[in-house]
Amino acid sequence: MWLPVLGLLIGLLLGFMSEIRIPDEYTSYLSIAVLAALDTLFGGIRAQLQKTFDDQVFITGFFFNILLAAGLAFLGVHLGVDLYLAAIFAFGVRLFNNIAVIRRLILSKNTKLEATERKNL
Amino acid sequence: MKVRGKHAIYSLVLLVAGFIISYSFQYTSQADKRPTNDQWKREDQLRTSILSLQRENRELQNELEDAQTVVNDMEEKIATQEKRSFNMVEEVKKLRKVVGEVGVEGPGIRVELEDSSYIPETENPNDYIVHEEHIRKVIHELYVTGAETIAINGQRISKTSFINCVGPVVNVDGVKHPAPFVITAIGDSDVLWNSLNLSGNVTDQLVDDGVEVKMKRESSIEIPPFINREG
Repeated sequence: MWLPVLGLLIGLLLGFMSEIRIPDEYTSYLSIAVLAALDTLFGGIRAQLQKTFDDQVFITGFFFNILLAAGLAFLGVHLGVDLYLAAIFAFGVRLFNNIAVIRRLILSKNTKLEATERKNL
Repeated sequence: MKVRGKHAIYSLVLLVAGFIISYSFQYTSQADKRPTNDQWKREDQLRTSILSLQRENRELQNELEDAQTVVNDMEEKIATQEKRSFNMVEEVKKLRKVVGEVGVEGPGIRVELEDSSYIPETENPNDYIVHEEHIRKVIHELYVTGAETIAINGQRISKTSFINCVGPVVNVDGVKHPAPFVITAIGDSDVLWNSLNLSGNVTDQLVDDGVEVKMKRESSIEIPPFINREG
C-alpha cells in the first residue's frame, strides 16, 4: 500500500532535482503531458469510486494519453496548427468532469453515511 | 503477490506522474523567474548606464562652458590685439607712404619745366635750358609749402635722393632724365599752386632764367614707390 505513495514521492523528488533544461519550443509538450497524467489519475480515482476500476485500462490509458497528447502537439507544431490547444481543451474538460464526479460521489457517500448513522441513533 | 505486482505498477505510474508534474512545476517556476530576474537586472543596468551617461553629459557640459569662457576670453584678447595691430598697420602704411616704400595717389600739382624754345643766336644756349638748380628750387619750394611726395618724370624722390647735372640731362638718383622735366607733387594743390605763383617766387625766377613753366592742378596723381638704386 505504501509503495505507490513512495513512487509518487520519488517521482516528485526526481522532478525537482532534475536540472535538465528542455528547449522552450517543447514546453507545450510538457504542459500537455502534465494534463494527460492528471486526467488519467483523476479518471482512475473516479473509476475506483464508481467501482469500475480496471488497472489495465488505467495503465494503458495513462501512458497512451500522454503519448497521444504529445504526438498531437508535435503534429500541430509541424502543421502550423495549434493542435495542442485541442488536447488541452479535451483534457481540461475531462479533468473538470472527473473532479465533479468525484466530488459528487464523495458527497453522496457522506450523506449516506450520515443517514445510516442517524438510523443507528 | 498479485496485489503487490499491481502496487508496483501503480507506483511506477505515480512515479511518472509525479515526475512530470514536479518537473513541469519546477521548470515553469524557473522559467518564470529567470527572465523576470534578467529583465529586472537589465533594466537596472540600463538605468545605471543612463544615469552615468547623464552625469557624464553634465560634466561634459560644464567642461564645454569652461572651454567657451576660455574661448571668449581669448577672442576678446585677440580682438584688442587686432585693434592694436590694425592701428599699427595703419600707421605702418602711413609711414611707408611717407618714406616712399609704397605707391601713393592723391591730389596735387604738376609742374613741367622745359628748355626755352627760343634761344637768341647771340646768347649762350646754356642760359636757356633747364638746370638742376631749377629743379631743386621747385622741389624745395614744394617741400616747404607742404608737399607730401614728389616725383621727377615719374621717379620718386626720397630723403636720400640726389639731383645733379650731367651735360644736357639731369641725373636723378643715377637715372638720367632729358628735358622736359615733369615734377609731380602730392599735397594741397591750392597751397602749392599759390606758393609757386607768388610774385617774385619760383615761377617768376624760372621764367626769368628762360625756362618754360607749365603748371597744372591735378585731382589725382599716382606716384610709384621709391626704388633705391644704390642698394
